[in-house]
Amino acid sequence: MQENIYDRNKNITILEVLDRVLNKGVVLTGDIVISVADIDLIYVGVRLLLSSVETMEKLKTAKKTGIIKF
Amino acid sequence: MYCITGNPPQHDQVEELWDLKYIGVDGFYATIKYVSESEFSEENLKKNLSDISWVETNAREHIKVISRIMENSTVIPFKFGTIYNSEEGLRKFIRDYSSSLSKNLKSIEGKEEWSVKIYCNYKTLIENTEELSEDVVAIEKQIGESSPGKAYILQRKKDEVIKGEIEKLYKFYSQQFFDELKSLSESYLINNLLPKELTEKIDDMILNVTFFVSKNKVRDFISTTELQMNKNKIYGVTVEATGPWPPFSFISINEK
Repeated sequence: MQENIYDRNKNITILEVLDRVLNKGVVLTGDIVISVADIDLIYVGVRLLLSSVETMEKLKTAKKTGIIKF
Repeated sequence: MYCITGNPPQHDQVEELWDLKYIGVDGFYATIKYVSESEFSEENLKKNLSDISWVETNAREHIKVISRIMENSTVIPFKFGTIYNSEEGLRKFIRDYSSSLSKNLKSIEGKEEWSVKIYCNYKTLIENTEELSEDVVAIEKQIGESSPGKAYILQRKKDEVIKGEIEKLYKFYSQQFFDELKSLSESYLINNLLPKELTEKIDDMILNVTFFVSKNKVRDFISTTELQMNKNKIYGVTVEATGPWPPFSFISINEK
């Protein structure tokens, strides 16, 4: 059987994952609490958030070590 | 809700670890997990979706679970965040949509979803394309014979022409890849080209396609991708092929 690429390639970007699990797949209405919709914009959000997460991490490290590396 | 299969998923330790449950209705099997309101109520889910680390962990888990089940079964994957109030609601859905579910299971059986993204490095392409076009050569000749002021204007014109030529070359290479891979696939979905802010690459994305490939052609598909990439490496072309993904792009449940 073909090896599953996720297992050997940990570098699959979150973008690729989100594109599938949020933008595609079965969408339904009915007795559903929520089915994530209008999510195309998450791309923008993800990048912004990723950069802010990175910045936060850097600041956290900086607090500990006194050094900021960008 | 993760996915629906036509046969009962095989239990193993990993699935126990994720605390998955299976609900069987009329020959279909839904893989589900009970989730808490504190995390997944409409309001809380919306809040959590703005937390990137929460999204990443959960989105990766969602696809991991489905991929795991896909190892032994044909799966119809569901969007992350599809949540039912009750098991009865889910059962009703399966009963209502059973013919569409059967049709989908049949159409996706024996096929794999592969994503192919092709990039091209502008600089490498220019450097290794000997003669971009007669137009560029003609302008270069003119530049050599012109006053500095005129030469400056002509240089800008040359840059414009080169840009246009590069666009043509991008189209040429992406078309070449696409035609080759298309002939090895059952169907495909052309996606938007993503800007550099999203890909975080220096190279331009020139093709973004999801292919649906018969399992017996996957080996050919991958080797063709590699062959094409090596052939065009000199022009700055690189390829990212990932898969097999659950068939997110090739299902369509829209009828009762």
